[in-house]
Amino acid sequence: MKKKILLVEDERPLCLLYEEELSRDGYDITAVTDAEAALAKLGETEFDLIITDIRMPGKNGIELITQIMGLRKDIPIIINSAYQSYKDDFMTWAADAYVVKSSSLDELKAKIRQLLGD
Amino acid sequence: MIETFSILSPDFERDAPRELMLLSIISQSFFQPFSLEDNLLVILTALTSGSGVGFNRAMLFLKQGDRLKGEMWLGPRSAEEAGLIWEVLSTPGIGYVEIVEHNRALVSKNVDTLSTRLKGLVYAADDEGALIPAYAACRKEILHVRDASNEPLVDRRFLNVIGVDEFLCIPLLARDDVVGEIILDNAITRTPITPPDIKLAGLCGLMAGNYIYSATLHRKLLDMEKMAAMGEMAMFVTHQLRNPIVAIGGFTEQLLKPGVPEDKRTRNLTIIRDEIRRLEDTIFQMGHFLKVSLKEPVYFDPGPVIALVLSSPEIQTKAKDHVLNAKLEPCLPEILCDPTSFGEVVRNLLDNAFDATPVGGTISIRGYRKNKSSFVLSVRDTGRGVTNPDKEQLFRPFFTTKEKGMGLGLSFIKRVMDTCGGKVEVHSRVGKGALFKLIFLSRERELTP
Repeated sequence: MKKKILLVEDERPLCLLYEEELSRDGYDITAVTDAEAALAKLGETEFDLIITDIRMPGKNGIELITQIMGLRKDIPIIINSAYQSYKDDFMTWAADAYVVKSSSLDELKAKIRQLLGD
Repeated sequence: MIETFSILSPDFERDAPRELMLLSIISQSFFQPFSLEDNLLVILTALTSGSGVGFNRAMLFLKQGDRLKGEMWLGPRSAEEAGLIWEVLSTPGIGYVEIVEHNRALVSKNVDTLSTRLKGLVYAADDEGALIPAYAACRKEILHVRDASNEPLVDRRFLNVIGVDEFLCIPLLARDDVVGEIILDNAITRTPITPPDIKLAGLCGLMAGNYIYSATLHRKLLDMEKMAAMGEMAMFVTHQLRNPIVAIGGFTEQLLKPGVPEDKRTRNLTIIRDEIRRLEDTIFQMGHFLKVSLKEPVYFDPGPVIALVLSSPEIQTKAKDHVLNAKLEPCLPEILCDPTSFGEVVRNLLDNAFDATPVGGTISIRGYRKNKSSFVLSVRDTGRGVTNPDKEQLFRPFFTTKEKGMGLGLSFIKRVMDTCGGKVEVHSRVGKGALFKLIFLSRERELTP
């Protein structure tokens, strides 16, 4: 069965790019553009992994992670952000990995495989 | 019954004690939107003007690092010039702007003579064996020097510059540190310096010292804020540039793979073109923000500038989908601001109001006198309002609640208002719209007969 990934990314072109590229690798991608929509999806579906941006309108990625922790769902989370400078802090936000956005998706794909045990 | 009084502009009777007048002039000057240099000029003026202590000339040394350095000299070069200056400064109703303008010209006129020679004088600030004038600063004591030519403790170079035998050295202290020194003399009238003069000048020295100390701290704080803002800017630019670059790179990678269908090819190229346009826009806006340098504020009639902004095609286009009300008091006072920046401020405020308000909502701009020395320009909208946490961050560069905003408009407005000694107030409740009030220093226009 395909592994389910929830992608939270407010930049629509990037959302489309990740959705296409990760679907091609055999994942079932649900893409949303803000934290509220992500929380709603989490109520409906059991996901295997979450990829979230940090800077988004409304709640940011860090606030989203805090709320997910409150839901006591043990889902691995990858922060995928344009900010390089936060990379050293991701453990304090209870995320499992931090990937700086890049036009090559190799690092992101490798982290996904690692966290899903593929 | 309650009576209110303005803190900043008490009107003293002409026969009020000169000590009160002097302290009032100095303390009020600290509230004016002048630079440190201009405020120091006001202090020197107060010490030398007719309504002040009435010394003929004042000379200022400032501590820079471990040196005490001559900075500024204010005073006439001859009895004729003195008469002229004192007449101007004794004019009833003369304001700070006029005093500063007048004396700025005077100081610059002295550039070739007094001030240049003064600037050549530099002393160690904490040398136990220092000669006068540095001696006063090192010992943190007021010195009244008479018969200076025969006093071995007086530095000869200093004596050559000042050219008088009697003078007063007032160290400027703050929190037990020396921040500078003022030298006062009566070179023109040759009037002896009296004990009451010394006491009053000493009090001025205390005020001046504390002012220099707090102004220096404020400058340091601004520098730190600037550094923090630069850091935030770097992070914001990274974010704004990286997202489109990642999209451009990713969709180009897809195009390079074999067998891309025509419709996907067109879609990818369209995304790439749009993202490049977005990058261009970001770079343009950043460049605009960085190059804007604010000019010195001046008094001007805000009416025509507001009218010009309201009639601009950009605002008129936005106003088509909203109700725009403008209500300005007749015969507006003159406000203190740079007119070009003021126009930008009004445009930015209206832009924000339109962006925050759904189609059909109302935007009201009002201009009215708050009191005789301040003018309010307010923009009210019926948009989504501002949350309390957002209110605290609203004026930080790069903070935005808009999907497409750069977060530079309100920080620009704050910068302009700080530069002209004005204030910005935000009143808002979520869902109930927002009211932005800009409060400018103002004065009534002189009526032309």
